[in-house]
Amino acid sequence: MSFEPKILGIACNWCTYTGADLAGTTRLQYPQNIRVVRVMCSSRINPSFIFRAFQLGADGVLIGGCHPGDCHYNTGNLYARRRLAVTKKILEFSGMEPGRFRVEWISASEGNRFAEVVREFTEQIRDLGPQTKFKISQ
Amino acid sequence: MAISFEQIEQHLKTEALKLLESGKVILVLAYGRGYDANHPMPYVAKHPSDVDNIVFNEYCTANLARYLTRYPRRTKIAIAVKAADSRAVVQLIQEDKVCREDLVVLGIPVYGMKNFKTGEVIDSKTTGGLYNPVLYDILLGEEVHGQPVSSPYDVLAAYEAMDKEERWAFWQRELGRCIRCYACRKACPMCYCDPCFIDQNKPKWGEKSPESPGNLMYHLTRFHHLAGRCIDCGECSRACPVDIPLYLFHKKVAKDCEEMFGQAAGMSIGDKPVLVNFRVDDSDKILE
Amino acid sequence: MSRIGVFVCHCGLNIAKTVRVSELAEFAATLPDVVVAKDYKFMCSTPGQEMIANDIKEHRLDRVIVTACSPLMHEQTFRKVLAASGLNQYLLSIVNIREQVSWVTHDIDEGTAKAKALLNGAVRRARLLAPLTSRVIDVNSDVLVVGGGIAGIQAALELANTGKKVYLVEKNSTIGGHMAQFDKTFPTLDCSACILTPKMDSVLQHKNIQLMTSCEVSEVKGFVGNFDITIRQKARYVDHTKCNACLACTEKCPGKGVSEWDEGLVKRKAIYIPFPQAVPQKPVIDRDACTFFKKGKCRLCEKVCEQKAIDFEQQDTFTTVKVGAVIVATGYDLMDTRSLIQYGYGKYPGVYNALEVERLFNSAGPTGGKVTLRDGKEPQAIAILHCIGSRDKNNYEHCSRVCCMYSLKFAHLFKEKTSADVYQFYIDMRAAGKGYEEFYNRIIEEDVKFIRGKGARVAQSADEPDRLVVEAEDTITGKFIKLPVDMVVLSPAIIPRGDAKDVARLFNLSTDKYGFFMERHPKLAPLSTMSEGVFIAGVCQSPKDIPDTVAQAYGAAAEALTIVVKDKLELEATTAMVNPASCCACQNCVRVCPYGAPFFNETKGVSEINEALCKGCGLCASVCPPSAIIARHFTNDQVLAEMEGLLEF
Repeated sequence: MSFEPKILGIACNWCTYTGADLAGTTRLQYPQNIRVVRVMCSSRINPSFIFRAFQLGADGVLIGGCHPGDCHYNTGNLYARRRLAVTKKILEFSGMEPGRFRVEWISASEGNRFAEVVREFTEQIRDLGPQTKFKISQ
Repeated sequence: MAISFEQIEQHLKTEALKLLESGKVILVLAYGRGYDANHPMPYVAKHPSDVDNIVFNEYCTANLARYLTRYPRRTKIAIAVKAADSRAVVQLIQEDKVCREDLVVLGIPVYGMKNFKTGEVIDSKTTGGLYNPVLYDILLGEEVHGQPVSSPYDVLAAYEAMDKEERWAFWQRELGRCIRCYACRKACPMCYCDPCFIDQNKPKWGEKSPESPGNLMYHLTRFHHLAGRCIDCGECSRACPVDIPLYLFHKKVAKDCEEMFGQAAGMSIGDKPVLVNFRVDDSDKILE
Repeated sequence: MSRIGVFVCHCGLNIAKTVRVSELAEFAATLPDVVVAKDYKFMCSTPGQEMIANDIKEHRLDRVIVTACSPLMHEQTFRKVLAASGLNQYLLSIVNIREQVSWVTHDIDEGTAKAKALLNGAVRRARLLAPLTSRVIDVNSDVLVVGGGIAGIQAALELANTGKKVYLVEKNSTIGGHMAQFDKTFPTLDCSACILTPKMDSVLQHKNIQLMTSCEVSEVKGFVGNFDITIRQKARYVDHTKCNACLACTEKCPGKGVSEWDEGLVKRKAIYIPFPQAVPQKPVIDRDACTFFKKGKCRLCEKVCEQKAIDFEQQDTFTTVKVGAVIVATGYDLMDTRSLIQYGYGKYPGVYNALEVERLFNSAGPTGGKVTLRDGKEPQAIAILHCIGSRDKNNYEHCSRVCCMYSLKFAHLFKEKTSADVYQFYIDMRAAGKGYEEFYNRIIEEDVKFIRGKGARVAQSADEPDRLVVEAEDTITGKFIKLPVDMVVLSPAIIPRGDAKDVARLFNLSTDKYGFFMERHPKLAPLSTMSEGVFIAGVCQSPKDIPDTVAQAYGAAAEALTIVVKDKLELEATTAMVNPASCCACQNCVRVCPYGAPFFNETKGVSEINEALCKGCGLCASVCPPSAIIARHFTNDQVLAEMEGLLEF
């Protein structure tokens, strides 16, 4: 059986989650490997969620938030940008493949951008193969 | 100019005595004798008569800033600090854990400090280039000049050069040895949470047994919690009974933070810790 | 142990086409704590809702999962079903298998597999959901309106007519705003003052409106229903309680200031009322222009004032008002086109901006309504340049929306008042409004020349030094043209007020990339903001014409009314709270919160959260190192459990 990556998405309610809904409303097709958790703001994302997601067997983690400057809570995503940048550096220095973690700003009107990012990211994870480093074997 | 540890000790005693006698502080955080001269311990002088017990030598590596947060706010404290320790004091002031006006900072300009376990001189590993405290009220001796100045991040080169598989293997091996004694967080001046996230049961962030997955969760999250806050004293690694080189990871994160946000931890009391701050023009490149 | 009911919706074929819904329901029944799992054609229909309500009772459900469309669609619908069945509405979880599954795949196997994973996550999370109760607070029934232009005036009048007390704060010494400067309004060409001044007067006379001119909001505390607003009354140096508006002072005053109302085209006195119909009709002293303030002597105004109303010692004063809701209607500025040196504004006397031209047309204006140039001559040829600074990637990308129409109005008035040739240099004409296209056609008939091409440069004429030359490419003929004219009218970009950023900070409003205030939702909540209880109206939100501005003002008044009409208000329940036992007093939460909700309790040595200010974003929870902060409804536990479920299969 070919490798079907498991991708965890964490999307902010106001922009990326709504953008993902728009992708659906406009019937854009994208791979079904992504499973999205909705949070109110990208700043809600605790770095440990990401470490944990990889331990739970995620092959890739995609974070989506509002474009900087457009955060519905004014500045949430500006904090998130810094915190998630550090998360990425930590993952990389631990030996995790850099391509498995990605942060994208996708607005509520960018349904096609959402679909495009998911397509691209899914392909990238497919190429990287199964994530075995963090995954806790049952 | 060679460092005279006796002279520093003498200065320290003189100032401690003055401060305690005048009542300006109610305690002095310094070093006292351990089970032998090579194993000094943190020591709290509370009475003028305690001052005789104060020692200072090349093994006094402990970062006494660790103890500042154990006293109620507004306690008047004098604290002996080396270069890195002074950065911890600055960072704690930034975080509003201690008030500048409650502290008398006794700065120790020094080099040639040694790891008490190995006898190795630790200058290049920790203080790298910084020999004088960044904050003090009283300097115990003359400022150090003319010592080799290196980047504190030089020691990272070999690890940054590893490919990701090698690095994963390295950390897998190192963190896999962790026995979860938590000496690292006990020694760390910036780890003042009680309880620590890893001790929480709701949520349970990671396994508590000393096995790889829980160890990974604990350490990676701790690296994140200390991002932009770690002042590179190296105490976590010296406190570690199984000698995990945690300082390497902390250094790497500190380096990344400095590159991304243009600010090193604990250098100025006017700074805001980088992860509870932002700039509108932070580049999205940092996410790449 | 919880008792979960799972309800899978077919949404006709919308879902059922690419998700095997009955298989999904069967799968749900195998998950922990699920006691009933059903699928149905339309869960949101009345029978669907009744089915859920019945099952809540019959199976004693304490958690409900609806597997259907996006929570942004029907979360509220199903919450009401729970509430009506006596179950706390926050014990509902929605699984989005339409927008994020069935509509984005054609493959029924993939769709079903993903739906199962999402449902598994929802079940894990549902087990940890907690009932939440909204806090109820008393509401102050007064309203603050910031800005006394047509938007603020209209909103204030509407609210006051419902019996609510309104504080109308205006930073200038009169209300009226930009509309008071206009001569005629398009497309009907009715006189601006004739339709505006009666409204200004009604504001003054209205018993429910407290008009506060020469005032600025200096501090905003509190939250929806309970704002404490501090207002700075700037010193006017005239005691308005004594002044009887005889205006003897303004006649005697030797001081000279720049007339803001006349766009600096003429001088006014240092003690002045901005224009004859100003409201209130009482003068103020312009400190920078006043001879006494500059030189230490004069006081002529004081000498002629029988009422002893002049008070050179007057200081700024501060008052605090309590209101339940706020309407921000602070208007706009025109872009300062001096920075666009190619148009020569500020360099060549023959180049005017749109507001200056409005004043030239006006019979109360600097020329008494005669269109003459600065040297007193009547122009023979006039060029009106559209889109100066707007629709321009180098300056402002947005369309300023009203320039096409007022340029047509200008053309008409020029034709009426002069014998000049009038040229329009435009990118394309935008006439989308009631009667606008008709107005455009009418002006075409009036022998106005339309050149499709953006004015590129204005230069001094080489042959006739007192004339100007407009350079442009006529994009219809493809020819580059140089047109000699006597007068150039620029239509500058409409931009946010210079102090819009301060206003945004005071009221915690988001701004778009230009600095216009952001609405909560561009389509469905155009007047609300992310600051609960603060509404926006008029051009401070984006450029618009008077009809749209007035419509927004009515809307904002209605929005504000929905709050102040109530005695009590329910606050958002999905707020954050601190578990004091775990708080490490690092105060990260206090440092990061955009709303100032967390504060440090010095006595207890822990952070606490003012839930009335909390918007539930969860930022504080993620920066809390010991996980002491609980972001209700999105707790660490709940998110981790959901992740576990999503990644299990």
